[in-house]
Amino acid sequence: MPGPIPILRVADNLLVTVQTDLHDAVADAFQEDLLVTIERTGAAGLLIDVSGLDLVDSYVARVLVDTAKMAKLMGTETVIVGIRPEVAATLVRMGFTMSGVRTALNIDEGLLLLPRPRK
Amino acid sequence: MNSPVNYMQRLRIDDKELRARRAFYEITDEDLARLAGLRAFGERNGAAIVDALYQLLLEQPESRTFFPDDNTVSHVKAKQRDYFLGLFQGRLDLAYVEDRLRVGAVHERIGMPPKLYIGAYSRYLRLLFDRLLAELPVDEAHAAYRSLAKIVAFDKGLAIDTYIAANLNTVARHQAAIRELSTPVIRVHRRILLLPLVGTVDSHRAAQIMETLLLRVVEEQARAVIVDIAGVPTVDTMVADHLLKTTEAVRLLGAETILTGISAQIARTVVQLGVDISTMHTRARLEDGIELALALLGRAITTTKAD
Repeated sequence: MPGPIPILRVADNLLVTVQTDLHDAVADAFQEDLLVTIERTGAAGLLIDVSGLDLVDSYVARVLVDTAKMAKLMGTETVIVGIRPEVAATLVRMGFTMSGVRTALNIDEGLLLLPRPRK
Repeated sequence: MNSPVNYMQRLRIDDKELRARRAFYEITDEDLARLAGLRAFGERNGAAIVDALYQLLLEQPESRTFFPDDNTVSHVKAKQRDYFLGLFQGRLDLAYVEDRLRVGAVHERIGMPPKLYIGAYSRYLRLLFDRLLAELPVDEAHAAYRSLAKIVAFDKGLAIDTYIAANLNTVARHQAAIRELSTPVIRVHRRILLLPLVGTVDSHRAAQIMETLLLRVVEEQARAVIVDIAGVPTVDTMVADHLLKTTEAVRLLGAETILTGISAQIARTVVQLGVDISTMHTRARLEDGIELALALLGRAITTTKAD
């Protein structure tokens, strides 16, 4: 069964655009889906675009950070792109700084941070 | 341009508020009916009372400056007669309040201090009392005076409110201007922003700095933000914490923050306070910060001619 959020494969990387609110159930399925896809494809990089989210609570932030850590264990680099200004301000105010996760302004910038495609 | 203040709205005067004010000034329907019955008295005496009032205003050097020539005097006297007759309308509704607020606003706008505005009412009442006693039996004169005094007190209240509201409006405008001035985010180069901080940073301002800066980062798609704190008098734990939070938020967007303008004293204070800002890029001088920002973007300043 396909997950709630489509995962695109671009060259050696996975590209995910989150546009719906990540409720608890959705977030879990999303994480599971991503990890299985990484296992299957052995992707070098994972790019999560959250520009569609105008609300990121601490739960969702944790899911994103955890997913990045899990991907790292499987050898996949994660970049989160498109965090909105108001979202960034709220996260920092809550003391949630997503340390250890790389961030970029947009998908273009994010792709530059990911490993070069293997020849 | 200052837009005119809508005093009715600002003072939140609606039917409910009007009822409350009327109750507080104890203005009854009987008072209003009594005043309406004195309309003929008002029409008879208006001109004389207004003339006597302006005698006082033109006598005193301070109030005289508001009436520079005869044209002005005859104009305001006509207005004052309208106002005077307004006291004998026998109605006290929202239109009446609006009219009174307008009168107050005009005086505020020309800069007439409240002491003169309110002070003029004193003579007003005395003149009225004299005329009432001259024309009416003592009992009636007293009753009429009591009713008039209530209305006049009601008007004075509105006038003071107008002055206060106008002042608050000015303060709010100044605060907005200061807020804007306090976070000038400048684009110094392609995708490089500069925020020169001057003055004390409190939490209110810190929140505003963060908000403005983050918006601009996205707007300009900036990769590096230079925060120059050379103009910040002291960096205590709180200010350092604000700076760290801002750096973190900027990082979440995908840009980097460079802190410059760190004087020897600030460096000493920060370390002595035990604040760890080692996660930030820091430089002593702004020019070093600009060079670092360019380096982060893979660019550099080169020399084309030997000094």
